[in-house]
Amino acid sequence: PSDTRDAAQARARSAPAPVTDVAQLCVCDLLVAQCDANCCCDPDCSAGDFSLFTTCSVPVVTGDSKLCSQKAAVYSLDVEADPPERIFKLIDQVNPSIFCIHATNYEQALYLKSPEIPTPENFDRLLAKFGGASFSAEPDSWSLGAEAPNPPDANETHRYEFGAPVQTENAFLRLPSPVVSSWCSDANPAGFLVNQATKCIRSVSVEKCDSIQALSMLFYINSSILAVPKSSQMVNITVQSIVVQSLGGTRTSLNSSDVLRLPMVLDELCINAVLGVNYHITHTDTGEIIEAAAAFVLGAISKETLSIEQSFEISFTQENAQPVPLSGNPGYVVGLPVRAGFRPQGYPSFPAGLLSNKHSQLTILHSTSTQDCLAAQGARAPVLFGYNMISGCKLRITAAMKCQPLAETLLDVLKGQSFPEYVASFGNSQAQDVLDWVPITQLHISEQMISNTLQSSCQIPVSLGIEVKWTKYGSLVNPQARIVNVTATITTSTLRQLPSGRERIIPVTSSVVFTDISSPAEPGYKAWPTINIKLPFDFFYPFV
Amino acid sequence: SSQLSSVPLHILLYVNGIYYIFYFLATLAMIIYKSQVFSYPDDFLAPDLAVLFLMAILEVPRSYLGFKGNLTEAEAPLGLSLGLTVASVVLSVYLLLWQTYVLWADVLLNALLLAAYALEAGLKVMAIAAFLS
Repeated sequence: PSDTRDAAQARARSAPAPVTDVAQLCVCDLLVAQCDANCCCDPDCSAGDFSLFTTCSVPVVTGDSKLCSQKAAVYSLDVEADPPERIFKLIDQVNPSIFCIHATNYEQALYLKSPEIPTPENFDRLLAKFGGASFSAEPDSWSLGAEAPNPPDANETHRYEFGAPVQTENAFLRLPSPVVSSWCSDANPAGFLVNQATKCIRSVSVEKCDSIQALSMLFYINSSILAVPKSSQMVNITVQSIVVQSLGGTRTSLNSSDVLRLPMVLDELCINAVLGVNYHITHTDTGEIIEAAAAFVLGAISKETLSIEQSFEISFTQENAQPVPLSGNPGYVVGLPVRAGFRPQGYPSFPAGLLSNKHSQLTILHSTSTQDCLAAQGARAPVLFGYNMISGCKLRITAAMKCQPLAETLLDVLKGQSFPEYVASFGNSQAQDVLDWVPITQLHISEQMISNTLQSSCQIPVSLGIEVKWTKYGSLVNPQARIVNVTATITTSTLRQLPSGRERIIPVTSSVVFTDISSPAEPGYKAWPTINIKLPFDFFYPFV
Repeated sequence: SSQLSSVPLHILLYVNGIYYIFYFLATLAMIIYKSQVFSYPDDFLAPDLAVLFLMAILEVPRSYLGFKGNLTEAEAPLGLSLGLTVASVVLSVYLLLWQTYVLWADVLLNALLLAAYALEAGLKVMAIAAFLS
């Protein structure tokens, strides 16, 4: 198996040999094993096909025309003959110019070079040569005044920049993540200020439980982080909390989180194996790391499990700041959650700010595989800006169901536990700036508006449609998305009484639509130049 | 008369000198043209230019020694000039056969130069033979 894989890799490594014989080159042969229309050089065409052609799309195939003498394949159609047939001639084409190439001693002069196929051995060299923003055809040794990378200034104070790998004393802070497949690769460095969450699979076995490094807490906290790159100031990673997950999935938080729990084999189970690590790094606003903490989820591995899924997360917070994830700065970024919040009770007007926390996100119902509305309570998906979403579930109504509790349950299913009242207008709206928040308008529409007599009977909500109107705000060059209006429309429908024993299934949907109501940009012109005519003060001299 | 200096050799040396100037300028111009029109990497351009300039450097003593040897009827400078002619022939053959791009004009120029050098070498050998006897 490994040698066949190597053989396949070796085959893939070499590109197919270039074709240089003009008699076999055909530029118009695009369809494989089929005859291309009007392509006289196509080998898949038969004499019958040639008789149907009108012209030859490619009359001559030659090599480089700068050569003094070269072979040329000439294709033409003899329309006089009945049926028309294709004529193929191989002639010697002569370039009469005195500057034609008589010979070359440089084989790449006339043909495109076959590119070097990257292999594990030459990958680093190819990356160094071609990995930049530009590269030249000349070999590097001959470029005079080559741009050498700026030598690092020893006196410059280092600090972490966005995306720079967080350095530890011997390498980088590792955040294992899936690379090509879902298997964990420990070589992924964590980037500064890059909040990441990854999940990957690691192969385990209970016998080697205490020897697999990636299962032990020590692997993740034993290296201390450098506070600034290339310095000797170290920040130790402290253990913030330990949560133990049992085989059934229940998690309990441990009180004492300063004891290091290493994996060990107990009753054919491997306990204290790391199932998840959550790093919290605190930094200053000058790019220096001051604190690092890790929260662990430890679990048990049974004898039959061959692989476990580990999840890793890293988040960065600035010191003395409450972390509020922004959804854009200032305009909303497509794909980030729409921020929402409540006005605290008892504030009739807007003296103080709004409460905005993660738990009151604008969410919609998340469709589950069972599609049962009553069983799906709790599965919500956050509304992401710019993503129109529609979800739904099916509600099975039996005769025994009472209307009022059903209506309340459905409203709960559609709107969620805490449906917010306000939505942030900009992605970075602060809770204190009340004018930056847009109230959610709630509408109720009844499906059957025709006859009023049905109004009094039971109405159950069957659909929630959230329409978010947004506009482009700011400069034409860099427009920012700003939410202007949010309307949540609940459509209700009457619940007809069912004869006992029968049941009905009605669909319940919720949707989010984002509408762009940007007004078209108006060009602004500079003010017309005015003609400033003023008569000189002594114009009417003799009379004034 | 007992004049041993060879007049045809003198004329040929003179004509060769003028032709060589034209040859050098034409070949240099063509190398510049080739480097603009074709793909001419630096490590192929350098040997070609080096050969051309080396040939130009050799031409000066070769021509001077040829004139002097012929006029003073001395075989030593003429022999040295013959040796330098052989070196120039080798360099010209390189430019004819092993240059990166050999244009048709290159073939013509080099063939003419080789013919001139061959005739010159023949006349020099005859002159040396005349001086020695």
